[in-house]
Amino acid sequence: MSTNTTATLSQSFRAKPNSMQEDITNDATSESSEHSQHITIGENILENAKFTTRNVNVYYGEKQAIFDVSLDIDHNEVIALIGPSGCGKSTYLRTLNRMNDTISNCRVTGDFLLDNEDIYSKKMDPVLLRARVGMVFQKPNPFPKSIYDNVAYGPRLHGLARTNSELDEIVITSLEKAGLFKEVKDRLNEPGTGLSGGQQQRLCIARTIAVSPEVILMDEPASALDPIATAIIEELIDELRENFTIAIVTHSMQQAARVSQRTAYFHLGKIIEVGETSQIFTNPRHQLTENYITGKFG
Amino acid sequence: MNNETPLGGHISKRFDNELEDIRNKVLTMGGLVETQLNNGILALMESDSAIAQQVSSEDYKINAMEVEIDSQCVEILARRQPAASDLRLIVAIIKTITDLERIGDQAEKLGRFELELIDEGSTSTQYAKLEHLGKLVSKMLGNALNSFARLDDAVALKTIKKNKKVNDEYEALMRQLITLMMEDPRTIKNALRVSWCARALERVGDHAINICEYVLFLKHGKDVRHIAYKEVKKQLSF
Amino acid sequence: MNNTDIVKHGLKKRYAKEKRFQWYGRLAVLTGFVFLTLLLLDIIIKAMPAFQSTQILLDIPLDRETLELSTDATINKDTLSAINYDGLIKKSLSQLYPQVSKRNDRKQLYKLVSSGAEFSLREYIMKNPELISSNSEIPVLSIWLKADDDIDTFYKLQTKISRVSDRQVEFIDSLIQQQRIRTSFNTTFFTASDSREPEQAGIKGALLGSFWTLLVTLLISLPVGIGAAVYLEEFAPQNKITDFIEININNLAAVPSIVFGLLGLSVFINFFGMPRSVPLVGGLVLSLMTLPTIIISSRAAIKSVPPSIKEAALGIGASHMQTVFHHVLPLAMPGILTGTIIGMAQALGETAPLLMIGMVAFIVDVPGGVVDSATVLPVQIYLWSDSPERAFTALTAATILVLLAFLAIMNTLAIFLRKHFERRW
Repeated sequence: MSTNTTATLSQSFRAKPNSMQEDITNDATSESSEHSQHITIGENILENAKFTTRNVNVYYGEKQAIFDVSLDIDHNEVIALIGPSGCGKSTYLRTLNRMNDTISNCRVTGDFLLDNEDIYSKKMDPVLLRARVGMVFQKPNPFPKSIYDNVAYGPRLHGLARTNSELDEIVITSLEKAGLFKEVKDRLNEPGTGLSGGQQQRLCIARTIAVSPEVILMDEPASALDPIATAIIEELIDELRENFTIAIVTHSMQQAARVSQRTAYFHLGKIIEVGETSQIFTNPRHQLTENYITGKFG
Repeated sequence: MNNETPLGGHISKRFDNELEDIRNKVLTMGGLVETQLNNGILALMESDSAIAQQVSSEDYKINAMEVEIDSQCVEILARRQPAASDLRLIVAIIKTITDLERIGDQAEKLGRFELELIDEGSTSTQYAKLEHLGKLVSKMLGNALNSFARLDDAVALKTIKKNKKVNDEYEALMRQLITLMMEDPRTIKNALRVSWCARALERVGDHAINICEYVLFLKHGKDVRHIAYKEVKKQLSF
Repeated sequence: MNNTDIVKHGLKKRYAKEKRFQWYGRLAVLTGFVFLTLLLLDIIIKAMPAFQSTQILLDIPLDRETLELSTDATINKDTLSAINYDGLIKKSLSQLYPQVSKRNDRKQLYKLVSSGAEFSLREYIMKNPELISSNSEIPVLSIWLKADDDIDTFYKLQTKISRVSDRQVEFIDSLIQQQRIRTSFNTTFFTASDSREPEQAGIKGALLGSFWTLLVTLLISLPVGIGAAVYLEEFAPQNKITDFIEININNLAAVPSIVFGLLGLSVFINFFGMPRSVPLVGGLVLSLMTLPTIIISSRAAIKSVPPSIKEAALGIGASHMQTVFHHVLPLAMPGILTGTIIGMAQALGETAPLLMIGMVAFIVDVPGGVVDSATVLPVQIYLWSDSPERAFTALTAATILVLLAFLAIMNTLAIFLRKHFERRW
């Protein structure tokens, strides 16, 4: 009985002329084979967004890494970018604070508006941009300096504090916001590299928020951490949402489901689907998203 | 593109097998429940105490299956953290087996009432009216199980539509029974029993509808409970 | 036969092979160690005599008559320097052996004492003029004066050498009996410069020459090397020109050092007209030679700084240059310093290019700066190893020891710096 039913099941799943899903599936098949006009499913365009990106293409030399991506990031939201390795989600994230400027053969086209300001215009200084759009990386990367100096580095760099007491205050509030102050308050002068992995990552977050950015980009911030440290970071991300807009790239779908309000699914350099996280994880509209989320062959 | 079976195609073959196994068990359980219901109705129609006895004693099998499937679902939830269609499948299964178990209970009730009726020495002639309702409900359950087995949303939707018919039939039957009772108060005892049977059958219909709704949820990711039929049709863009 | 048996069967053979290989390794290490020890022992044994010098106790009469000073003459610099000190020493020797009368014997007697002894005597008396002016009853100065190098070698080694005659051996025997001969620590070796007389030769000039040369090398090659490395590693565009430069830097490291000497000769001396034999030119030439080493090691050190640190700084909003100077360079510093010190050590031991630019000259004066004529330690070794006098053999070995000591110190410093400043991340 079982094999028989399975066969009929699959047939019935395909033979479904009225269903919306079917149309999407067909679209995706034709697009992934040839990089033609691509339509993202879902709410990738918002009104009054914090970050607006339109028709983003990224090339590494001859190779195109991102195809015609349009995505908006709302104020004070956590948006998760998910997708298989090499799908371009990290590349896209790095275009948002021009970290890929440092890669010599990387070329970026498209519109990037942060509060309606073009971040790739001549007028926008990448240094200023990175003060406004901070970044937390996959591997905790504290400087080999003291905890205090790690957090104070950004404010010192940009001259945010006029006096030492002001700097102290910035450091302490940043550490508090990152939920690290209690743990390190007695050893601010000890090297940041002596902390545990999770603490190091929170130190990096404290270092990032010390310059009061508007947007924080996180590139798999918890992938090198154990579940407890991950949970603490996730809780922290949720708290940070009050003051910051956060875009997070993650390989853990459960993490994306837990921390984000919206989720964007990247596949082969394109955004396939954007939507409310709850919708993406219970009822994705695109077959590719479905396959990725349920762990099926794409 | 995934043109494999909708349950299959996972990178983890074992996950595929687990889901297939669980689904087969649900279908088996559905078959068992269907047999129980049909036997219950048959016993009622034929006043067959042997069948009635069998129906009332077989229910434990359904209960055991429910427990087993439930624990398998919990295990999958814990170990696989299913998402999207997998998640909907597991949720739908958990709910479906609850409804199936309730249907089994109703079938058992039919058997029990029939035994009581036979004890009272009453004949089944006055229950002929139940026959139509029983057939209707039995067909609904069959369709619900079919739609689940084939994930056939069209059948599910059609079955949901039939609910009105069942309700109408039930109302008519009740009115008849009330008239009967008013005419001849001696029949009240048996008429009440019949009305309970009718009630049980009506409940089976409701459970069958629930199962159809789970199928729609599983297939479209939309919760269509407590929504007017027309609205459902519109939402699913039929 | 199942797998376990098969494995067991081959096991013995495998272990034996492993053991054999270990023994080969030990043998190789042992061979190297033995050779090194032999070399070092040879040098040390040969060098030992150079740290001792033989002295002879002489009684110098200091009455005005002997000094050929009139009784009313004032004692000042001029009058003191006019004294015939050589005559004084000879007179003193004659007094020791009044029986010697033959001209040839006298000559041999006088040769007991170093030709430089008169200068040390003069120096001593100039420093203590009261010895003369005092009215002590016996105006005799007892002073230890350096023996001639042949006597020195004979006395220290206690072997007959051709340059010491039988007559002189008798003299020495009697000196031993009178306890008028001894050996003491040879301070001259460290305080004097080159000399034709081994007992008067020292390495101070060469040491300072090496110092000035290395100073010039360091001052030029360190900033230039780091600058080039930072630019190439961090800022240079990835194109053919950069590739070409990189290849050439790597090639330069393999160019024979004498080529750099020729280059220095034709460019710095002939074209720019810089003086010969000076540490400035030597330093420039050695800079050319060490630059590739420093650039290559600095680039490796910069490359080994984890990119995550750079990303972190950039992500906070540091400019590229700030990132390099705040984070990359400090983290790369131990590696850069190690490379630099190893380059310096290489430069310290370098001879060939310096020969080309005239730092091989016989220079008696201690260089006081980078434009004074000078020689360097390895060249000094080269010069002395060529000298006929037997005593120079010991001096050569001693100088090699000093050079080795400096190399060891520099390498230890490199290890220390690397260990101390290396940061973990």
